[in-house]
Amino acid sequence: MSCQNMKNDRLLKDRVGIVSGGARGIGRAIVRELVAEGAKVAFTYVKSDSEAKKLLQEVADAGSEALSFKGDVRDYDTCRDFVEQVKAYFGGLDFLVSNAGITRDKAFMTMEKKDWKDVLDVNLTGCFNMARSCIVTFLKQKKGNIVNISSISGISGIARQVNYSASKAGIIGLTRALAQEVAPYNIRVNCVAPGFIETDMLSILKKELKDKFRRAVPLGRFGNPKDIAKAVLFLLSEQSNYITGQVIKVDGGLHTSN
Amino acid sequence: MARSSVQDEVLEIVSTVIEKDKGDIPLDAHLIQDVGADSMMALEILAALEKKYRIAIPEEKLKEMATVNKIIQMVEAAKKRGK
Repeated sequence: MSCQNMKNDRLLKDRVGIVSGGARGIGRAIVRELVAEGAKVAFTYVKSDSEAKKLLQEVADAGSEALSFKGDVRDYDTCRDFVEQVKAYFGGLDFLVSNAGITRDKAFMTMEKKDWKDVLDVNLTGCFNMARSCIVTFLKQKKGNIVNISSISGISGIARQVNYSASKAGIIGLTRALAQEVAPYNIRVNCVAPGFIETDMLSILKKELKDKFRRAVPLGRFGNPKDIAKAVLFLLSEQSNYITGQVIKVDGGLHTSN
Repeated sequence: MARSSVQDEVLEIVSTVIEKDKGDIPLDAHLIQDVGADSMMALEILAALEKKYRIAIPEEKLKEMATVNKIIQMVEAAKKRGK
């Protein structure tokens, strides 16, 4: 197969989409994967200026196109403004990946209201803000695709992550309800629930705890961000046309039941 | 005359989306409260208007699209802005 044919066969050729929290970790891997498959991607970030700049350069060097937007998904007007800018710049919008997330892990008895609010605002309200900002466009064109990044923490709960687990469980509820509501308009909404993935979030754990978690994974290793990106790509592509309202666990076999 | 042309076209779109005869849609009847449309139908009407007249109607205007007459006014205003 020639390189030209390979380029034409790309799964997201000329599709336009948004990735929130795209400058680092899982978000960056998602941006890279989608761009490599032909998508034009706009991503948000809050603090990671240099990482965002590097990623844009990397994408440009590969002959592809991306756009960055410094803004906080907690703010609804910011999200709406961003979506309108993306539509104007790329001439349309086909998909959304809501990935922006933070952790404020601590024992529940020491968890302050602010720890709770910050995590819920970014992870869950941010997911709402982005989906709500995109949905009218998707409804009008009777076509669209949303992938929300949840977590196994939202499925089974993890100690010292009451705020994070609650936010990620909320994302699953949002996903399932929205999927049912917009399915008649040819819009699919799914979730990816990563297990233990090698990112900054995992690197802050103590070695003993990391070893314990690693031993619990049947595949015997932590996942890497690309493992998640591949699942997102699948859900955004036409390969998954009959899948909506689902939570795909990408966790090395950690949770094998529903 | 231009008014009646837009009126016919808008009525045609509304009638198609909400699946009711044009004669059963009074121009000043509230589309949701009186005619049986819902918010998703209103959005479909908005999308159809945008396509037909090549205009952009902001999402916020959905709330104002209460009657056929109001939609006609909105379309005419948008067409004027486009000129």
